[in-house]
Amino acid sequence: MHDGRRTRPVLIVLLIAAIALITLDFRDAGSSPAHAVGADVFGPVERTASAVASPFESLFRTASGRDSSEIASLQKQNDQLRAQLAQSQVTTQEQAQLSQLLHLTNASHYRVVAATVIAAGGAYSDTVTIDVGTRAGITTNETVLNGDGLVGTVTAAAGSSATVQLATDAAATTGVRMDGTNEIGAVTGTGSTLGAVQQLKLTLFSATAVLQPGQTVVTFGSVGGRPYVPGVPVGTVTQVTSQPGALTQTALVQPFADFTGLGVVGVVVSK
Amino acid sequence: MTALRRIAQALAIPVVLLLAVTLQLALVNRAPLPGGAAPDLVLLAVAAIAVCTGPMTGMLAGFCGGLALDIAPPAAHLAGEYALVFCLVGYACGRARNAITYATGEQTMITSLTVMALGVAAGEAGKAALGMMLSNPDVTSPAVKHVLPVAIVYDLLLCPFAYWLVSLVLRRPAPERAPRPEFAQVATAFRAASAGALGAVPALRLAGSTPPPARPPARHEPKLRLSAGRPSSLSGTSAAFSPAKPPHVSGRAVKLNFAEHKAGTAVPQPRQRTSPGKGWLRARPAAGAPVLKHRPPPKGWLRAGRPAGTAPLRRRSPGKGWLRGARPAATPAMRSGSPPKGWLHAGRPGRPGRPAGTPALSRKSPARGWLRPAKPVPPARRKTPGRGWLRPARPAKLSWYAKSPGSQWVRRSHSPWSSRRRRLLALVGVRR
Repeated sequence: MHDGRRTRPVLIVLLIAAIALITLDFRDAGSSPAHAVGADVFGPVERTASAVASPFESLFRTASGRDSSEIASLQKQNDQLRAQLAQSQVTTQEQAQLSQLLHLTNASHYRVVAATVIAAGGAYSDTVTIDVGTRAGITTNETVLNGDGLVGTVTAAAGSSATVQLATDAAATTGVRMDGTNEIGAVTGTGSTLGAVQQLKLTLFSATAVLQPGQTVVTFGSVGGRPYVPGVPVGTVTQVTSQPGALTQTALVQPFADFTGLGVVGVVVSK
Repeated sequence: MTALRRIAQALAIPVVLLLAVTLQLALVNRAPLPGGAAPDLVLLAVAAIAVCTGPMTGMLAGFCGGLALDIAPPAAHLAGEYALVFCLVGYACGRARNAITYATGEQTMITSLTVMALGVAAGEAGKAALGMMLSNPDVTSPAVKHVLPVAIVYDLLLCPFAYWLVSLVLRRPAPERAPRPEFAQVATAFRAASAGALGAVPALRLAGSTPPPARPPARHEPKLRLSAGRPSSLSGTSAAFSPAKPPHVSGRAVKLNFAEHKAGTAVPQPRQRTSPGKGWLRARPAAGAPVLKHRPPPKGWLRAGRPAGTAPLRRRSPGKGWLRGARPAATPAMRSGSPPKGWLHAGRPGRPGRPAGTPALSRKSPARGWLRPAKPVPPARRKTPGRGWLRPARPAKLSWYAKSPGSQWVRRSHSPWSSRRRRLLALVGVRR
């Protein structure tokens, strides 16, 4: 315990170790084995902690307009129904187009696995951990939604936990379609750039499309439903921010889901 | 008992870190706090541990805590980022705490909290800076602009709480300011004693001279006692003085004994010095006259404002082992070293847990050898003090009470040759 001359060599060793870790992770684009080890180690810990901290959570959720754990089971059920509803919101004509486009045979391809958020990332990143993992059939690049709308996508899955990148994360981009006009575009998370305001930035690919506040945005869908299944409601346009003369139209979108009070979510897994 | 307690303390640090990581991920990050940011409990815990222990423990705790935050599931940044930043924060906090304690001789809660606050703020900034450097898409300059001030404010608000909690867990008493000894008066008394004006000094009981029955002091903590020439006359000296009584004068000369508590330890011979110390008389411009005054010190001048036992317990020596009692070679330095702060305060007699004389031997104490009465100031010179005869040869070596200490003083407060000799010995491979 003597903090004497050995301090500096140990410091240098630790710094080199940290830089080596950063380098390895940078090379693997943030998916080095260290994260897998961490997920295996800390996943159960977080699950336990979340169970212990559930009174506080319900307190938070009560504070943010949600209610207690009795609703949770109902909400789970509700989420599944809402997800199926979101699937069926796509009209038959659109469904035919999409299935033609995306080689989707039918919407019953998917099922929804209910999960609970057990941990959240730091101040800069909008990520959460959910309490289901590969043992429940979760793999990466799967859509996560809740009763309100799109939540995000699974970026990493361990045995009993998975990491979800929220749609508000600055690194998340989702292909979307305007409900009604069928114009396509993309929403990008704003992260913490707007402070505590959780909004998305919409960019329409068409320069001539009409963009008005109040329009609803739904997901466009990806090939094989990964990372986004089609037809999940994302949010409503609140403010058109495009500059005159700009090539693309941009707007701010208020998401349907409440990202600060996430409780029960559903993961859309393919059957 | 001490070993068990140490083990418990060493186990407490990982527990604190794990608790901080878990709370951070499962609770704090999920709480919809106003401002869009959250405090970093792990950073706070690391800074508090570093401040409470030292740089080595601090940086190890920082590395482990940061790594845990890096690889625990919802982390979106690269593994190793927080480990790097927190490791540096822990090291810097521990070093700064040690340096301040080294310079001022005491560890106050204010300095600890200041160091901790600075470290935490630097840690938050370092997290943001490293994320931007590694082009993390989440950490952009507008995001940092929004998050960083709020996060720092939250951290600063939680700083005292984290410090209190960690110091509670690590069983380190919250450090209080040890009363500064009135060296001018003490010096008067001892000078009078050495000059033979009073003939003797009051028989003082030094704090900590009675070994507590419950817990023996650590091996390398030298015990300081003032006795009447007999190293083993503990009972006589301890019973002689009570703080309520005015110091009475006995006919004995004073000797200072620095001895290990082990009976078998040989007491090295005191180093003979030709002068009483580095300019220790400089504090009094009219050096000759007031020494011979028979005015006794005011009543109660030796009474401690606070019990000396509340001085911070330092487990390690303040600097590069200059006072470590376990090494025999360091003993001459220890002998000529000045007494620890608070040595003159009568320790509370009924306090069993801690020897009261174990606070840090600080640099704020007077220059070495000022207490030794073996060679008093030559009377011939004292009769005719020429102009500037007391001025030390080098102005950089002034004592602390002669001049307000500058940074130069801190560096030069003991002989440069000791470190040179140590470096030379290390160079040729001689281990002490």
